[in-house]
Amino acid sequence: FRFKESLAEDLRKADLVISHAGAGSCLETLEKGKPLVVVINEKLMNNHQLELAKQLNRDGHVFCCNCSTLVETLQLMDLSTLKPFPPGQPEKFALFLDKVVGFQ
Amino acid sequence: TGGHTTEILRLLSCLSESYSPRHYIFADSDKMSEAKIRSFEQKRAETFSNSQFTLDRIPRSREVRQSWTSSVVTTLYSMLYSFPLTYKLKPDLILCNGPGTCVPVCIAALLLGLLGIKRAIIVYVESICRVETLSLSGKILYYLSDYFIVQWPDLKEKYPKSIYLGRIV
Repeated sequence: FRFKESLAEDLRKADLVISHAGAGSCLETLEKGKPLVVVINEKLMNNHQLELAKQLNRDGHVFCCNCSTLVETLQLMDLSTLKPFPPGQPEKFALFLDKVVGFQ
Repeated sequence: TGGHTTEILRLLSCLSESYSPRHYIFADSDKMSEAKIRSFEQKRAETFSNSQFTLDRIPRSREVRQSWTSSVVTTLYSMLYSFPLTYKLKPDLILCNGPGTCVPVCIAALLLGLLGIKRAIIVYVESICRVETLSLSGKILYYLSDYFIVQWPDLKEKYPKSIYLGRIV
């Protein structure tokens, strides 16, 4: 398919996700707890999009590769080394904002 | 737009009902945000009885990678919309997270403050995608906002006046 309203259903059924480095794709996948291999195409992307993929890779949450190393990565990777991605904490933001605005 | 809307709705998810009414401003070219916002507010209305919100569109100030000079022109054009809208809404608090759309709104709010008409608190939360560098909106609003929040420690180091609360979306 070209575009779907939501990938939630497909994600739920997947055992492994191979994706481009778009932030939404990465985060949605990690939040569902699925192992993720990020394929980076430096020619196509805005430079800043790489920042998140690289950081997630450094933190051990995803594997990164490019188009030519994808097959090798899939063959050699050990999914058990991937670290789970803890959810963000909007409660902290709410607490902060309450103080700022004066709602205690 | 897209990712920004998802992030801002997550930021709103834990806010109490004191943050009401909520006025959402987004770009006229944005097709998907309205549906996401309505869905969020609908769910919210199931818990909180007196939920109030409005939706307003303004022209998009800048397309991705649009040139500098034309960006200034399109931003000024957006300001023709953002200024009367901000004047009408007279917000107490502005929460924004990075689309170009937020810049003309914040500038309008600052003007209203300078003119003694209404002083808004401006809180900017940089996107979770920004790990090492700030977006253009971020670079501008770092100096114009009252509170500037980043979600990765590298940015806190580079921008010392920013606030780091960890990942909040």
